[in-house]
Amino acid sequence: MTLTHLNARGEAHMVDVADKQETRREARARGSVHMQASTLALLADGDLPKGDVLATARIAGIQAAKRTHELIPLCHALALSKVSLEFTLDAAENCVHVEAFCRLNGRTGVEMEALTAVSVACLTLYDMCKAVDRGMIIDGVRLEQKSGGRSGDWSRQAALDSPPASSGEGGAAAPTKTLRVQFLAELRERLGTGEYHLEWERLPSPDIAGVKLALIERDPKFKALLDQRVLCACNEAMSQDGAAISPGDEIAFFPPVTGG
Amino acid sequence: MKIAISVQKATFDTEAEQRRLTAGRLDVGAVVSFTGRVRDANERPDVTALTLEHFPGMTEKSLHEIALEAGERWTLQAVTIIHRVGRLEPGDAIVLVMTASPHRRAAFEACDFIMDYLKTRAPFWKKEHTDSGSYWVSERPSDREAAKRWELS
Repeated sequence: MTLTHLNARGEAHMVDVADKQETRREARARGSVHMQASTLALLADGDLPKGDVLATARIAGIQAAKRTHELIPLCHALALSKVSLEFTLDAAENCVHVEAFCRLNGRTGVEMEALTAVSVACLTLYDMCKAVDRGMIIDGVRLEQKSGGRSGDWSRQAALDSPPASSGEGGAAAPTKTLRVQFLAELRERLGTGEYHLEWERLPSPDIAGVKLALIERDPKFKALLDQRVLCACNEAMSQDGAAISPGDEIAFFPPVTGG
Repeated sequence: MKIAISVQKATFDTEAEQRRLTAGRLDVGAVVSFTGRVRDANERPDVTALTLEHFPGMTEKSLHEIALEAGERWTLQAVTIIHRVGRLEPGDAIVLVMTASPHRRAAFEACDFIMDYLKTRAPFWKKEHTDSGSYWVSERPSDREAAKRWELS
């Protein structure tokens, strides 16, 4: 792998993209601003001294995305076709989640634009709220997914699902890999267990179906998992029998949901 | 679209939530609010309480995704979803879904949609307590049918 922003002499340079093909490029980035519960309440009620915080942060994020090339030295100036920002007020975590989405048809990706939009929207949230809460923390600024271009599509979830193969002998030294399997609600009570650690080597296949078979091999009571009404989540996302899994994944089995 | 998600033990104040949903906005033309309550009769006729379990982490994520999907299908300005967990008694409010849009149809339909998807996709489970014992509530085929109405062909 090479760093495209360095030339053969290791000096910074701007990549010439004139010969690259135009494709549709999209990127989604996220970040969070953690604050006191009272600050979040003021924000939600629109009672902060500087006025409508989210509307201001949204405009700041959009403006920032358009000016990314002025901030990041080797970035190209892009004619973005879409920039949008979403704010989620999270009363459980006392934070505001910020998500930015950028799109264009062009020759370079829009990851930096999405990340800049999130960063500046977070900074604007801080600025708008700092009169009442100076201890706010901005964190978790990250790319969630990008699509288009020579390097293709990438998403954080998919990267987590299939980590790059461990390099050479480093992999051999790894400790025994296990999967954490949880059982929830009625299934937990029926099985008499809430959690099970399964050695990766025991799986007949690296997917959810393999987890079920390995569990049944350990104890026939796990045949209950074959009931087609039993649901499964891998890393908190609903997953079917054929879904691929990796060492370290968190698997949960549970009955049909009955909330609301 | 402003999305507010909360999974909490405490009760909620619908009026306060509505003020919060519309704070500082004069372009909201319609707010639709649904409140679900604990009934004293369900699978058995003498429900004295229920316990709501959920899957922390996944719950918030799935509610957020449902709100985002509603935002893709209808023109919404804001969505609030609050779901309570823990021990609740008959008469207690259990869930609040509130939608805001420029015109009423979007808010009505999106609220309906969010409840249907919440009931079939968000990882919550109810255990009912009665004088004759406790049991986990079974899923209802009617809930699945209701959610199917929104499938895009």
